[in-house]
Amino acid sequence: MKKEQIDRRSFIKLSSLASGSLAIGFMIPGLSALALPVEECLFFQPSVYLKIDKQGRVTVFVAKQESGQGVDTALPMIVAEELDVDFRNVYTEIAPYGTLKEGEHDTGGSQSVLNMYTPLRHAGAIAKAMLISAAANVWQVDVSKCAADNGEVVNTINMQRIKYGELVCQAALLPIPKEVVLKNPKDFKIIGKSEKRNKLNDILIGKAKYGMDIKVEGMLYAVAERCPVLDGTLIKLDDTAAKKIPGVIKIVSYTGTGAPMHVRAAVAVIATNTWAAIKAKRLLNITWDEGKKNNESTEVLFKAFELKANTKPQISVFNKGDITKLAGKNEITANYAQPFLAHATIEPMNFVASVKGENLELWGGLQIPDWAVNTIAEVTKIKKKNIKLNLAMMGGAFGRRIHFDFAIEAVKIAQQIDKPVKLIWERTDDMQHSMYRPANYHQLKANTDDKGNLIGWQHHVLGTPVAYMTNGLQEKHPEEMEGVNAAFYYDIPNVNTGYTAVDFNINRGWLRSVDICVNTFPVECFIDEVAAKLKKDPLAFRLSLLENRADFKTGNQPGAMTQSPSRIAGVLKMVADKIGYAEARKPNHFIGVATHSFIFAKSYAAHAIEIEMLEPKKFVIKRVVAAIDCGLVINPDGLLNQMQGGFAFALTQALKGEITIKNSRVLQDGFYSYELLSYGEMPPIEVYMVDSKEEPGGVGEVGVSTVAPALCNALALAGHRPRTLPIRNEGYSWL
Amino acid sequence: MPSFSLHVNNKDYTVEAEADMPLLWVLRDLLDLTGTKYGCGVASCGACTVMMDGNAVYSCQRTVGSCVNKKIITIEGLSENGTHPVQKAWQQAAVPQCGYCQPGQMMTAAALLGKNKRPSDEVISSEMSKNLCRCGTYHRIKEAMHIAIEEINK
Repeated sequence: MKKEQIDRRSFIKLSSLASGSLAIGFMIPGLSALALPVEECLFFQPSVYLKIDKQGRVTVFVAKQESGQGVDTALPMIVAEELDVDFRNVYTEIAPYGTLKEGEHDTGGSQSVLNMYTPLRHAGAIAKAMLISAAANVWQVDVSKCAADNGEVVNTINMQRIKYGELVCQAALLPIPKEVVLKNPKDFKIIGKSEKRNKLNDILIGKAKYGMDIKVEGMLYAVAERCPVLDGTLIKLDDTAAKKIPGVIKIVSYTGTGAPMHVRAAVAVIATNTWAAIKAKRLLNITWDEGKKNNESTEVLFKAFELKANTKPQISVFNKGDITKLAGKNEITANYAQPFLAHATIEPMNFVASVKGENLELWGGLQIPDWAVNTIAEVTKIKKKNIKLNLAMMGGAFGRRIHFDFAIEAVKIAQQIDKPVKLIWERTDDMQHSMYRPANYHQLKANTDDKGNLIGWQHHVLGTPVAYMTNGLQEKHPEEMEGVNAAFYYDIPNVNTGYTAVDFNINRGWLRSVDICVNTFPVECFIDEVAAKLKKDPLAFRLSLLENRADFKTGNQPGAMTQSPSRIAGVLKMVADKIGYAEARKPNHFIGVATHSFIFAKSYAAHAIEIEMLEPKKFVIKRVVAAIDCGLVINPDGLLNQMQGGFAFALTQALKGEITIKNSRVLQDGFYSYELLSYGEMPPIEVYMVDSKEEPGGVGEVGVSTVAPALCNALALAGHRPRTLPIRNEGYSWL
Repeated sequence: MPSFSLHVNNKDYTVEAEADMPLLWVLRDLLDLTGTKYGCGVASCGACTVMMDGNAVYSCQRTVGSCVNKKIITIEGLSENGTHPVQKAWQQAAVPQCGYCQPGQMMTAAALLGKNKRPSDEVISSEMSKNLCRCGTYHRIKEAMHIAIEEINK
């Protein structure tokens, strides 16, 4: 198997580098590539992204990792569109690890469609052009007389047709064209039409295999007891009782690692089944050295935030005009706080590893496989070329599986036994040893002039950076400033934003919507507070600060992004219109709005939420309206699902999501103490899309950030403004 | 090690396991029926829901010793290739995102509709609240429930 993997990798590299080279059906899993004579053409694979076999069956190799966001549907739709085939005849496989360029498997930041739209259109168009050329050769006519139509090439002179499948062997012998003509988007037949999730039926009949479901020959099961404090060490282990559990094969320990993943020191039980491993784990008697940072708490952290908020930011991030001349004049101030959060995917972390001599084979779901493999190679000293990774579907990710601590752990365990091992995290492990969305705190100040204009805006963001964990304490990059850096969208003459980092001994990571969500909450609440102070309508006030502002670049550096205040205003107007903002409210009904740009995914979204207050701090959400402008929509139904689900995700964190820490330990241990939104708590939601011809943007994270501020703005209109999430901590309850 | 006779998806199995092994791990590790998912192990998420004598139960809470002589149905045995009204409704409403919790969701739904062909929204809400979905597909689960109810009352 190893040799085949290396051969396949080298082959695909060759064929993708040497433009014009042959690319015949070599990549058949289970067959030795080199043993297959060239003339035995089985399929046509003009790029790493797709193949077509002699029966005309199209397989798209999906570069991005599926975790529910629908990439294994949206990406093949793009290929099928340019290839001109029936989408129902398109099959998908995860692009095998090693067949793509470094980084191309990366899945995060709602970038999948954004990054793949053009390459996949080209891939489809190249394949189609080659099939057309092959048909032209067969008919001895000029290619201009041939056209593609639904999986066939048509001879436009005599209307003869040949199926793609019958052309694959001839097409495979043709040079790969350097340039192809892409379709005019107005001719799209697949892009823009709703398609159901690929392999939907596999999920519905229980056949879909997630990382958790992987079984390989001879595999054993492991669970681990980790040091309760980050970066601690093992002092003493008594496993006498644990060893007596039937099914236990071996008990091993391993040391922790530092950056980037901060794997904790642990003791792992390896057994013939999961239950035996879990039972034995409960009987381990371990003494840990917890290190010096074992008494940290979120209570103290938030006090530190509160104190430091009043001082000058550690890093000045964005400056416009001169805020100093306004300081203190006609000023309002408000502080906002948001807790650590856990991803809490329903599929707990898991990974399968098998070490055989110099070789390592891995199975599991990862969002950034290259990062994991490179780090594992470094940690284990196993050569990267000897590592084979088999990617799996993920039962939720939300950023958690960007991090690969569990994969390193599985390898550390597998290195100590001669059989493949599947490491399973229990729910408690998942809740207590995760990569938490950083806790954060904000101080905002606004100055107004005598005419009722907002003229000054200061935003001091305080946080516990992810980069401190992944890159170490020397990291000074103010990563948690997205949206309140040069991209800040409200048209205010004097603006000053800055960041202060506070170290804290708990692991941190990226969570769906990342710092855009972190910053949208205070910005979109505070703008309402300013409107209230100026006695202006919050919707009209926002629009006055957005609508007259032209699109602008966030800098001159390469990769600088474009911010579009008019599109931010556009989604806001849409939700206001759809919820009937202009109409009179029923008694005790209040509507809050919030808008934003998810700038690095080139998408914009807003929410309007109507609540009815039942008691001073008890409410029911009556209506939720969301609007999204993500440019050209690939799969409308996929987008709807993301916006509906994104709302549920966001409402969870607005109402009750909170990780608290005491003695450097997470107090929540599962879904009883870290509650998720339940079916009964889901309000009805309406989603509207802006009809746009702009290049497609991202979707997965875009429907999250404006939910909490829209809800809090509605609550504020009812009399009290919550400035701390989750709002349950401010005494709220809901129906 | 003790051995137990189990009746799962209309087939008889004999498994060797400790008597306290939860049905969840028997299904997944010993019988290769991995459609039943592990999510929490403590009756808090519903991902492991199966039907036992027609009732939805958390398989993480039933020891193998307590499952003898019970008629157990898992997602793999709910129908031939996804033809149960609940599966068809889930298909029509395109419910799943990641899909990991959905076998459990559908088993809860199927057990409910097996006993009550026209449950009220309140009953649906209290029953379906036993299953968590982190992707937040509740909006579509609601839609699918109504499709399934229409279908079985035709």
